[in-house]
Amino acid sequence: MALYPAYPLMTSRLFLRPFTRGDVDAVHSYRGRDDVARYLYDAPLSRDECALAVQRRVSQTGFAEEGDRLVLAVETQADATVVGELSLIWRSAEARQGELGWIFHPDHQGRGYATEATSRLLDLAFHDLDLHRVYARCDARNMPSWRLMERLGMRREAHFREHGLFKGGWDEEFYYAILRREWGAMRQSTRHS
Amino acid sequence: MTLSLLPFETDRLRLRAFERGDVDAVASYHTLPASQRYGVRHVRYPSDVAEAVGIMRTQVALQRPGDVLAMALERKGDGRLIGQVLLQWSDATAGQAEVRFLIHPAFSGQGYLTEALSAVFDLAFTQFRIHRLMVRCDGRSHHSAKLMQKLGLRLEAHYREHALFQGEWDEELHFAILDREWRPNAKIFELSPRNRVA
Ligand SMILES: CC(C)(COP(=O)(O)OP(=O)(O)OC[C@H]1O[C@@H](n2cnc3c(N)ncnc32)[C@H](O)[C@@H]1OP(=O)(O)O)[C@@H](O)C(=O)NCCC(=O)NCCS
Repeated sequence: MALYPAYPLMTSRLFLRPFTRGDVDAVHSYRGRDDVARYLYDAPLSRDECALAVQRRVSQTGFAEEGDRLVLAVETQADATVVGELSLIWRSAEARQGELGWIFHPDHQGRGYATEATSRLLDLAFHDLDLHRVYARCDARNMPSWRLMERLGMRREAHFREHGLFKGGWDEEFYYAILRREWGAMRQSTRHS
Repeated sequence: MTLSLLPFETDRLRLRAFERGDVDAVASYHTLPASQRYGVRHVRYPSDVAEAVGIMRTQVALQRPGDVLAMALERKGDGRLIGQVLLQWSDATAGQAEVRFLIHPAFSGQGYLTEALSAVFDLAFTQFRIHRLMVRCDGRSHHSAKLMQKLGLRLEAHYREHALFQGEWDEELHFAILDREWRPNAKIFELSPRNRVA
């Protein structure tokens, strides 16, 4: 099903909104850092690469068909600071599968923003996009990332060891997933936003 | 990796390349519903089998990533073809391979697969220098899961409802083993001197 959400999406402290051309410096302030890129596929991005990335994202605001990707800026309501970004990829239309990704600025980590924003995106994934299962993956050493997945109620489904090479060494990777009914139960028992 | 090691023998089996005359024997196990999921391609009708055997007949060596070595499992005693094991070399730089297997249900539970897979794992790790070998199983096939654990593979993934298979939610297990974790069992598999590669 096609989906073009109305923006911004809101949580108690945050807005989730499409990127605009004015976001290049904000994106560069975290995507340009070595510590942020450590477990990402991409190396740290230059300002020009960030400008290109932002240009691409300006149109990544909804889902028309399988394979489409939504990339949203996460901004504080209090002072309109971009604290990070979230993505949701529509992986399978037939089996209603999606994949989540997140990157936050280190200055704004540790405050629950990623959890709060991702919860909103999971609501959209299961409710508006009608997905059945959403998964995410991360390097096994990326503890902040898999702890986020566990806070969201995702289950560890895979632990791959040395299944490929990543940035000059053997890769070790976790997959986490959550089914629609599990997210529903999670939503009933907690309130993230 | 241009070695062709076929055929080779285990205690009770001969692992050999497929032949034109194998179509009926392959059809007897390959078109069963339980075989559908983890065969290399969907072979649902007897007419698909000839094509599948035709492809497997050409899969006799691992020369480049993506290549498959297809082995027919033939019982030494009566020459009967009871199943197959396919070894796919999926990635060269990271030394990855995948094994797929099928056995005729009438011959399962007698240790033939344990014997054949041990030999194929030895081959993968020692002759082909594979670093990590993986096997996918249907989450509901407890036989396969038990067999994998018996062979010393670790459960690396358990995907739930990640795909639809013939209209039903699928459940998939991935088992894997690294070269340093594999203990070759010399009793089960000994390459004859003729086949040894210096
Ligand atoms: C992965 C990443 C998004 C996690 O960020 P995070 O800040 O740890 O996650 P949250 O925003 O949900 O914050 C949770 C932390 O805030 C704390 N917190 C404070 N106030 C909170 C609140 N109101 N609600 C929830 N948690 C709160 C939590 O206790 C938790 O701290 P802890 O980890 O010390 O227990 C971040 O580390 C990151 O962007 N990394 C770099 C990029 C990357 O690797 N991305 C993933 C690639 S797979």
